[in-house]
Amino acid sequence: MTCVAAGDHDAFAALYDAIAPRAYGLIRRIVRDPALAEEVTQDALVEVWRTAFRFDRERGSAAGWILAIAHHRAVDRVRAEQAAADRERRAGTAGVPFDEVVAEVTARLEHEAVRRCLRALTGIQREAILLAYYGGLTYRDVAEHLGAGLPTIKTRMRDGLIRLRDCLGVTLG
Amino acid sequence: MTDVHTLAGAYALDAIDRLERARFENHLAECPPCGAEVAELTKTMAALSGATAEVPPARLRAAVLTRSAATPQTRRAVHRRTFRLPGRRWQRLTAAAAAVIALGGGGAVGYEMASQSASLDDTRVSAENKQIAAVLAAPDARLHSTTTTGGGQVTVVSSDSRNEAVAVLTKLPSPGAGHAYQLWVISDGTPRSAGVLATGRTGATELVSGIRGAQLIGVTREPAGGSKTPTPPLVAQLRLI
Repeated sequence: MTCVAAGDHDAFAALYDAIAPRAYGLIRRIVRDPALAEEVTQDALVEVWRTAFRFDRERGSAAGWILAIAHHRAVDRVRAEQAAADRERRAGTAGVPFDEVVAEVTARLEHEAVRRCLRALTGIQREAILLAYYGGLTYRDVAEHLGAGLPTIKTRMRDGLIRLRDCLGVTLG
Repeated sequence: MTDVHTLAGAYALDAIDRLERARFENHLAECPPCGAEVAELTKTMAALSGATAEVPPARLRAAVLTRSAATPQTRRAVHRRTFRLPGRRWQRLTAAAAAVIALGGGGAVGYEMASQSASLDDTRVSAENKQIAAVLAAPDARLHSTTTTGGGQVTVVSSDSRNEAVAVLTKLPSPGAGHAYQLWVISDGTPRSAGVLATGRTGATELVSGIRGAQLIGVTREPAGGSKTPTPPLVAQLRLI
């Protein structure tokens, strides 16, 4: 990452090879459309190149930083599309099936540790986290969707993530 | 554990809107343990990405590497102007002013921008930051925003009680060789210069004084160093009242 920040193109190519499958896979789960996922991944990784100097080792891993950028870009895109879809829906078109998000993502998470740790969450923790992270919903949308209060959803997102962190053994450094 | 702190999870999930993001990042700046928690929670979600990894089409690699090779890297700004608002004042911060902070985005706390001059004195920068923060936190702060002819955006937060405004110019088109953007405060049709950007600059944050009674803030493209009177046309104008 230090080399990338110093403008080393070869280092960036190596970084691409290391991270692109994870970034693309994540973005694809969120935006769904493969062509759009390619476009968003491209934008996200070029942003990584452009702003590499911002990466701060003390605030987490390079992968975490890059995937946060990827996630942010994908969610921005989904919300923009969602806003457009809402306008269409008011004109009579069907909405986005958020119920499918949780089921689909859970089914696709093949990694055993991840599955086990997600199962260890309460239902509302799991749904809140997955709807937000993979569905691109704000916690307000999640609360509305699950018929729960805002403080409850905020709290469940946080304690759910903390439980997930402990289960997966994630630490800084 | 303050109420805002419970947003740590939603923040790590990108499940908050821009205003709350700005508010939470302000909180993070004052709470190092919260920063550590957010970093861990962000990393937790990143840890899930191994489970959803998918090999992208080969053309993506070529596209990314071609584009990055043609994209200059952003260098660290000469001055990183970051400011924090004290907690209680933040509560009073209008949604409008918070939106301006959110414009900075990009994950940095507050906003940062390259300064107009590499030799700008740190003390002066710091004093100006305080004034900018004070305008944003003013109870009567109001937001005005417009797009610029040819792209870019000019956003102004004005406070009559402080008789000051903060103008944020972002991503304006290049003014062209030997030219610069100039800000004007226009009262009853009479323009007064409110600052000239460095030659060629396409973005800046300027503190504008003496706005009480003015109707407009305008931006023009001028020869380097600015002009005594604005050269038409206005590339952006914002109505203050």
